[in-house]
Amino acid sequence: MNDGPLIVQSDKTLLLEVGHPMADECRRAIAPFAELERAPEHVHTYRVTPLALWNARAAGHDAEQVVDALLRYSRYPVPHALLVDVAETMSRYGRLRLEKHPSYGLVLTTTDRAVLEEVLRAKSVKPLLGRRFDEDTVAVHPSERGTLKQALLKLGWPAEDLAGYVDGEHHPIELVEDGWRLRDYQREAADAFWAGGSGVVVLPCGAGKTIVGAAAMARAQATTLILVTNTVSAHQWKQELLRRTSLTADEIGEYTGTRKEIRPVTIATYQVMTTKRQGVYRHLELFDARDWGLIIYDEVHLLPAPIFRRTADLQARRRLGLTATLVREDGREGDVFSLIGPKRYDAPWKEMENQGWIAPADCVEVRVTLSDEERLAYAMAEPDDQYRLCATTPAKTRVAEALVRRHAGERVLVIGQYIDQLDELGRHLGAPVVKGETTVRERERLFQEFRAGKIPVLVVSKVANFSIDLPEATVAIQVSGTFGSRQEEAQRLGRVLRPKPDGGGARFYAVVSRDTKDQEYAAHRQRFLAEQGYAYRIVDADDVLAGD
Amino acid sequence: MTGEFAAWLRGRTDEELRALVTARPELVTPVPAHLEALAARAATPSAVARALDRLDRFALAVLETLLVAGEPVDHARLAETVGRALDPDAEAGFPAALRRTVDRLRTLALVYGPDDALRLAPGVDKALEPPAGLGPPAAEAFRHHPPERLAAILDDLRPCAAGAAGTGDTGRGTAAERLAALLADPATVERAVAAVSPRARAALEALTWGPPTGQVPNARREVRAATARSPMDELLARGLLAATGADTVTLPREVALVLRGGRVHRGLRHRPAEPAGRRRDPALADRTAAGQAFAFTRLVEELCEHWGVDPPGVLRSGGLAVRDLRRAAALLDVPEPDAALVAEVAYAAGLIASGGSVEGEWLPTPAYDAWLRRPLEDRWAALAAAWLATERAPGLAGDRDERDRLLNALHPGLRRPAAAEVRAAVLRVLAAAEPGFAPDRDAVVARLDWERPRRRGPYRDRFADFTLHEAERLGVTGLGALAGHGRALVADGPERAAAALAPLLPEPVDHVLLQGDLTAVAPGPLTAELGRWLALAAEVESKGGATVYRFTEASIRRALDAGHTADELVAMLERHSATPVPQPLRYLVADVARRHGRIRVGTASAYVRCDDPAVLDEVMADRRAAPLRLRRLAPTVIISRTARAALVDSLRAMGYAPVAESAEGAVLVARADARRADPGAEPRGAPPEVAPEPHVADAVVRAMRAGDRARAAAARHGEAPEGEPPRSPVATTLAVLQEAIRRGSRVWIGYLDSQGRATSRIVEPARLEGGQLTAYDRTRAAVHRFAVHRITGVSTMAGENDE
Repeated sequence: MNDGPLIVQSDKTLLLEVGHPMADECRRAIAPFAELERAPEHVHTYRVTPLALWNARAAGHDAEQVVDALLRYSRYPVPHALLVDVAETMSRYGRLRLEKHPSYGLVLTTTDRAVLEEVLRAKSVKPLLGRRFDEDTVAVHPSERGTLKQALLKLGWPAEDLAGYVDGEHHPIELVEDGWRLRDYQREAADAFWAGGSGVVVLPCGAGKTIVGAAAMARAQATTLILVTNTVSAHQWKQELLRRTSLTADEIGEYTGTRKEIRPVTIATYQVMTTKRQGVYRHLELFDARDWGLIIYDEVHLLPAPIFRRTADLQARRRLGLTATLVREDGREGDVFSLIGPKRYDAPWKEMENQGWIAPADCVEVRVTLSDEERLAYAMAEPDDQYRLCATTPAKTRVAEALVRRHAGERVLVIGQYIDQLDELGRHLGAPVVKGETTVRERERLFQEFRAGKIPVLVVSKVANFSIDLPEATVAIQVSGTFGSRQEEAQRLGRVLRPKPDGGGARFYAVVSRDTKDQEYAAHRQRFLAEQGYAYRIVDADDVLAGD
Repeated sequence: MTGEFAAWLRGRTDEELRALVTARPELVTPVPAHLEALAARAATPSAVARALDRLDRFALAVLETLLVAGEPVDHARLAETVGRALDPDAEAGFPAALRRTVDRLRTLALVYGPDDALRLAPGVDKALEPPAGLGPPAAEAFRHHPPERLAAILDDLRPCAAGAAGTGDTGRGTAAERLAALLADPATVERAVAAVSPRARAALEALTWGPPTGQVPNARREVRAATARSPMDELLARGLLAATGADTVTLPREVALVLRGGRVHRGLRHRPAEPAGRRRDPALADRTAAGQAFAFTRLVEELCEHWGVDPPGVLRSGGLAVRDLRRAAALLDVPEPDAALVAEVAYAAGLIASGGSVEGEWLPTPAYDAWLRRPLEDRWAALAAAWLATERAPGLAGDRDERDRLLNALHPGLRRPAAAEVRAAVLRVLAAAEPGFAPDRDAVVARLDWERPRRRGPYRDRFADFTLHEAERLGVTGLGALAGHGRALVADGPERAAAALAPLLPEPVDHVLLQGDLTAVAPGPLTAELGRWLALAAEVESKGGATVYRFTEASIRRALDAGHTADELVAMLERHSATPVPQPLRYLVADVARRHGRIRVGTASAYVRCDDPAVLDEVMADRRAAPLRLRRLAPTVIISRTARAALVDSLRAMGYAPVAESAEGAVLVARADARRADPGAEPRGAPPEVAPEPHVADAVVRAMRAGDRARAAAARHGEAPEGEPPRSPVATTLAVLQEAIRRGSRVWIGYLDSQGRATSRIVEPARLEGGQLTAYDRTRAAVHRFAVHRITGVSTMAGENDE
């Protein structure tokens, strides 16, 4: 019997015992081909998916290495069927290749004629291909490069894209490292991306994804289009680029709802790009406005469908996706793989935290009890209204007040879903409220004052999920959310996980109504956080109020 | 010839005859009356075919050589002819191998006669046709040629004959016989072949090693050597090819033998070639196989557990519906063919059977419960042994039968006796390789071809593929190499296999790792007690080497329902956790316990209600009410386990005046139980044909000998002696019979037949077992079984001891 740290399960999950002396070594060996699914305190769960295996293939790992890693670290014999399946799945990647042929142009070639025959017969692929030059080579309409990759992935024969990239319009960009340095993992991420040509870098919130983007731009030395989630984020990118690179304010354009500048480096929001005017996405033309050498997709897990479709046409340009998680609520991970590119770099949150880049967080769930009248009202309410009813109980306001008092002198964010509740909280706490209708200018002012410590408490709505410039808070109190979405949780936690100057810990409170849907949703959140390796406790509201 | 053969058989020793019936058991089922009958049976085409089917390529080549050489053949000549056909690499040890093979063929009664005159047993020649891909002899091939055509061929061939024209042609016999005589001389054929053009020679060479026939238009053409216009003309004119059909030409055997250089075969090996394959680390192969064995056993368990609660129906045709197979595959998280294998192996091991409702359902059997309690290695060994022996071919599930009907898993149509045979043969090949050696699939098939060339065919190849695949799935092989426990299974049986597997299996662990996300990870198979407890208190989330459990509100509630208290649960967690119990888990247990049991539900058959509690006090206090099993739920409500009507009657008898109410509010709760099939539905095919045990073979030989003597002496001792049948005490009867068996002598018995009539017989006892006497009944000239309790007496035959 082998005494390895890894246990291979028949459902293709890998259990890694964290306390094992060989755990670190093993983690490095399996990380290329297995997605970290859960990272609670003792046993981490990785999953071997076809996409993960193909990611590994794209990164130059072969099946022999994967099988070897499994056999070497596995404590128990590895089911043969799983090994066969791994080898089989990995061998599917690269049997088909997209190449640039000197005389035929863009072609699909194969090392396995039977596979080519198989995909040629598929209805989804046929219209995307042109003339067959010989038995192993078929012409591809250049405009269908992305769609073809999507279709082939669906058929289970992902194509390796070796057709290369256009250089785009040259533009000098340098990193200016004065008073800061590119961190090792940021450099590794940028290098891995550049070596792969296109792809996704996965880093947790607060780990400096913007800087990875800047480093990639410095490698590309070309005009760049940056797509971000919203206007605040766009400002933030601009500030960071000005601070970290040789770019001047004139070279950076913002293409948002209010401003439509096209400069060598242009930052646009998903929202404006997907705005329809008379039934057409007029702003998608921005993609063709310049000969872009690099396109950066921020928060690639939120990439909306029209941009996906448009991206399918941009396969000749280098694409960098940045995200904290490859998990998409809509399950379109495969589209990210085929259209943006394979994962090029990944680092688990907890590891980053151990290295001191992000703050440790203490997660506490506070359970409040509904009054008897509220329980009756809750039981009688329509199912659609039940969540709102229990999530906005006045008892939560009292708890929030107590928590804010307990953390007096610290910067506290109160996060919620319902505007009424937030306004009420704002009145009780004497704190300003940032919500959708708040103007950008006002929002930035409030954020600035919060950052400067002039405002100790800020109440924010859903908008907080989608901006990246919320300043370092040490305490976050969540009073209501959107039905326990995993992605939202990652965002929320990211808000308080910024590294703090004093290296202090952060607190994340979720205030929840007992025995209601609120508690059910909280269970999802609890699971997500525990799976990310955060300490999680549950306390009763009475204890919080009593300790007050 | 049959008489000669029978005489030879009679001359064999008892030892040799025993060896014969052991090797060809089909010859003695039923036992022939005498050796003449045995000889006749051994010559039947079916018996010969079965014996030939068991021969390897070398033994068949020896038989073919004997046939081609024309019997009787001297051993030295045989050795010389076979020796010429040997592969140059395989000459070492040939003489001894040939000697052994001839002896074996004699033992099998396929060859008989002394070394200087070896003959094929009757019937063998026909069964071998056409031997070694040779065409018919010339006499046969030219039989249907018209006389004038033969005359022309003779004319054209005669110049090639040795010496002066006509030396080889005696001029006697029919034209065909004369032609055959000419072709029988190799020198004549060689000269004829030398005389034709290179293209004609090439055409001959194409037919040399078979098949010996070719298609040409207008084969029956009138051509002469002098006017030949094509290569085919040249060959037909000289009789090097015979026209055996309008468009068919055949290479006569004599010509082919010359072209083959006097060899009957080529590249012959007296031992099989070493199989090609890959060398694996034996320890790694064993570990991999053990992992798979563990996984497979768990799959069977999981399927049976699931079917015990939610059994799939039995199709009218007897199988498992495709939909149910798909569900099983999803449940087990394996591909459908593997799910079919799991079900089939469970069925072969008698763990599942059809039973239950009228339509029939697939349910675990009581044997499953016994199986479940055994250690893991024993469980696997039971499965593997069942797989080894089953005559069913799970791999065929999903195929269609000859009438294009779907063959479902567990369908009766999956029974293929050949599957078991091929499976055993493949495993023998794997076992012959050294540990850690994984022979290639093609090498395995090639080896099977060598061992049983007459059994080859697409089906055999498929069964071989199935075996290799299934062996890997069951963990009999690992990385393609037979594992140590697989080897023990094939060679020494399931007990030794289990013993070999045991040290490779993970040790049971008695602790889990509890985590903040409410999961418990058992880093190995759990001890039985902890495993059962966790299965109750948590949901299984992932299986394999380890098991991941998740605690949920529902699972904690289930544990509380089963009678555990919150404190017990926490204590159990603390005792078995290698890590501190996370706060959220404690909180979850406490939170579920807080609400658990706030509402109570029970079963009652009837209730008594009364607005005046005093009346109910009275009822409860009444001693006559004790049998009614009353319980006071509330001041004004009593419930009872007694049926409403009986309750009303009883209360009336006690002097009250109750009124029956409709039964609303009374709830009957029944818990669905896991179900089991009725015992007795054991899936067992016909017993496989096995070689008889030594003592049975002995008895059979003795019976036939007796029959022989009986025939010989039929005239002398045909009838039972006159007079009353003998009578003797039971003990004496048994002693005399035993003695007669030992000495092989005849006795006179009195016997009550099935109608109760007293008869007397002269028998030669062969075997006494289980209250039955097996003996050759001289009076009836057949082997009979007699019930010992019906034998009224026995006496020895006078003069018997003299024989």
